[in-house]
Amino acid sequence: MPYVRIAGFVTLLLRLVMAAVGPAWSVTPMPADQAFQLRAQLDEEEGIELTWSIAPGHYLYRERIVVTLDGKRIRIAAEKGEPKDDPNFGLTEIYRGTGIATVPAELLPEKGHIVVTYQGCAENSICYPPVSKSIDLATLLIEDAGAGEGKGPAPALGGGKETRDVSAWTPSPSNGLEPEAGGLGGGLASTMLAFLGFGLLLSLTPCVFPMIPILSGMLAGGGRLSTPRSLALSVSYVLAMAAAYGTLGIFVAWSGENLQASLQTPVAVLAMSAVFVALALSMFGLYELQLPQSWAAKLAVVAGNRGSIGSAALLGFGSALIVGPCVTPPLAAALVYVAQTGQVLRGSLALFSLGLGMGLPLIAFGVIGSRILPSAGVWLLRVKHVFGVIFVALAIWMASRVVPVALTATAWGGLCIAVGLYLDVPSLFQAPRWRPAKLAQAGAGVLALFYGCVLVIGAALSDYGPLQPLMSVGVVASVPDASIGGFQVVSSEAELDRAIDLGRKQGKGIMVDFSAAWCTECRLMERNVFAREEVKRRLAGMLLIRADLTRFDLSSKTLMQRFAVVGPPTVVFLDPDGTEITDTRVVGDIGVDDFLNKIAKATGV
Amino acid sequence: MNDPISRSQFLRLAAMSALLVIPEQARSGDNEITRDMILNDPDAPVAGNPDGDLTIVDFFDYNCPYCKMAAKSLEKIVKADGNIRLVYKDWPILAETSIVGARLALAAKYQDRYLPVHHALMDIPGYGISQEQMLEAIGRTGVDQRRLDADIAAHAEDILRLIKRNLTIAEAIGLQGTPGFLVGAYRVNQALNYDGFVKVVADARARAKTGK
Repeated sequence: MPYVRIAGFVTLLLRLVMAAVGPAWSVTPMPADQAFQLRAQLDEEEGIELTWSIAPGHYLYRERIVVTLDGKRIRIAAEKGEPKDDPNFGLTEIYRGTGIATVPAELLPEKGHIVVTYQGCAENSICYPPVSKSIDLATLLIEDAGAGEGKGPAPALGGGKETRDVSAWTPSPSNGLEPEAGGLGGGLASTMLAFLGFGLLLSLTPCVFPMIPILSGMLAGGGRLSTPRSLALSVSYVLAMAAAYGTLGIFVAWSGENLQASLQTPVAVLAMSAVFVALALSMFGLYELQLPQSWAAKLAVVAGNRGSIGSAALLGFGSALIVGPCVTPPLAAALVYVAQTGQVLRGSLALFSLGLGMGLPLIAFGVIGSRILPSAGVWLLRVKHVFGVIFVALAIWMASRVVPVALTATAWGGLCIAVGLYLDVPSLFQAPRWRPAKLAQAGAGVLALFYGCVLVIGAALSDYGPLQPLMSVGVVASVPDASIGGFQVVSSEAELDRAIDLGRKQGKGIMVDFSAAWCTECRLMERNVFAREEVKRRLAGMLLIRADLTRFDLSSKTLMQRFAVVGPPTVVFLDPDGTEITDTRVVGDIGVDDFLNKIAKATGV
Repeated sequence: MNDPISRSQFLRLAAMSALLVIPEQARSGDNEITRDMILNDPDAPVAGNPDGDLTIVDFFDYNCPYCKMAAKSLEKIVKADGNIRLVYKDWPILAETSIVGARLALAAKYQDRYLPVHHALMDIPGYGISQEQMLEAIGRTGVDQRRLDADIAAHAEDILRLIKRNLTIAEAIGLQGTPGFLVGAYRVNQALNYDGFVKVVADARARAKTGK
């Protein structure tokens, strides 16, 4: 085999390409420099603003943007990206169209140059190696960074100046050669299926019950209906209901994270919790929680009189809005998921599936009729009570995020005692009948009573101190640092910067613990991890900062964005320069051993 | 069993050294590329039918999500077709751990376990794969880890040279990023699905028939 020089080989390739296929095939991926065009602009106050113009169909990874000065990584403020939540790739933040990052002025000398490294992909096609550019601080002139300066493993390729004039054998999607994942991502079908199942589960909650009289009223009101007719009516009712959820999905996907953020505020959490308590009370028969009678009557009248497909659809749409609040926590979870994806169509379809899932049993009900439901009786009452207890439990669970732990424990204890009394008290007034079921019930009741008492007593004795209801809403300066001293609490980025500066001056490594008063996992970590002697000893040489996210406001959001923190508890280790040490981040409550390993990594021991 | 800390530290050091060395050698290295180097590099792992009438060269990175997507279709067509020879070119360009992955896989070749290790690494979805994730995935392949460590150390030079050759070739044929494929005479710098591979393979065969 004769040796061929590169040029010869490339030319050969080129000829073969030209001979073989038409222009539709010869789409070559854009060179990285063309796909991601970097500009630098000086702002006297802010610093240097880096702007990437990103070609359509391409995206840049936010976390891959690295700026170095004299070989040392410096911190930048990169604007929030679009979340890319691919079922396969996990959650990342990317920029499409434009990406902006600012290098703070105070970190920059007058002269010299910084090296900017960034990396991105063409959607569903290829991923580019890291690109490194050197920016002269005096002139803002951008040049390819020399080999070896970039962070990427193969900077020799990064420059990409030697773009060969070879046409590629690249089939274009227009030839039917679609890349593996479609525009909505490969997981759409599975997402929809999952939401359908989710909806089916939701339909088992009593929230759907109010729909049954509406639907049956509609079906029965018009006299006897043929099966196909009931089917058509039920289906249109359910489809409209699903459409209502789909519409909700559109709004949520549009509004993006705002909803998620507002759902996390103590007020929203407490409000939802209150809704559940109200629902529970209604289940216990304190009052009938139904639509205002006038509405229900009107709906039933409309249903009875018409029975047309159009009115069925109208009813379905309305019903969805009515039960909406009732299914809050699961629905909220679904909405949050949709909001995170940020994709309007996907979110809408997902919620549509959810509505469909909820409606399927209704269709069955509509067709087969109320015959399938057993007649009412004591059992129905019992079922309602069970749901009442579940609702109260949900209310406590939700509230536990914002109320002090002791109060939560007391509430759980109270619930257990109540359940115990519910199970046992009737037996006291009845002639003893020693049937196994009765015995089991009494036994369970005693156990619940006992557990409840333990919880209440435990709560009273707990080392979380007296109830501090104000703390949870951020009125009182918040995070309790009783378990370990030495944490400096910050709640804004400026405070954090000052603390990091302090660490730099002292040459200390820094640990930033993102925490919040409403975060139960954070409490667990304080108790089980930070309070341990071993941990304390290992952290002794470090500057300990606690970033307080109790108040979910703008400053806490910027704090989180600064280190791309998803939520508390998150622990970030920084070297004395204020740069995060890779692979040391702790997200969520972890065990002592794992935490010690992270410390070891962070301190290089 | 080896101490995992020292092992991972070693790998990291190895990756760092490759970082420093590769660009240097890539520049000073031979700027002559041969067809043989691309298709018949004796050190490059090969799969499929060794006597197949068509060779596909796969340039990939263990941190490249789209490579992983395309790899499934590629393996499928190689199997279904039965007459394709597949050459793996580890092309670690995306991140530091890419080099770690390439070294692990290529070192496993010395105990004839390249393919299981390669597949294990490709089966970790996404990008930004940590070294720990890689080691964990490899641990499940039943590869002899002690031997792997020994081979990484003993054959460090050879592995590095192979990676360097791959880098040079990929650059020479003008690949912009991962994944890249040579399918016969065709260069495809894009992730393909199964149908895409079917079409390119058919075209490459047709080309080979009429072109010579």
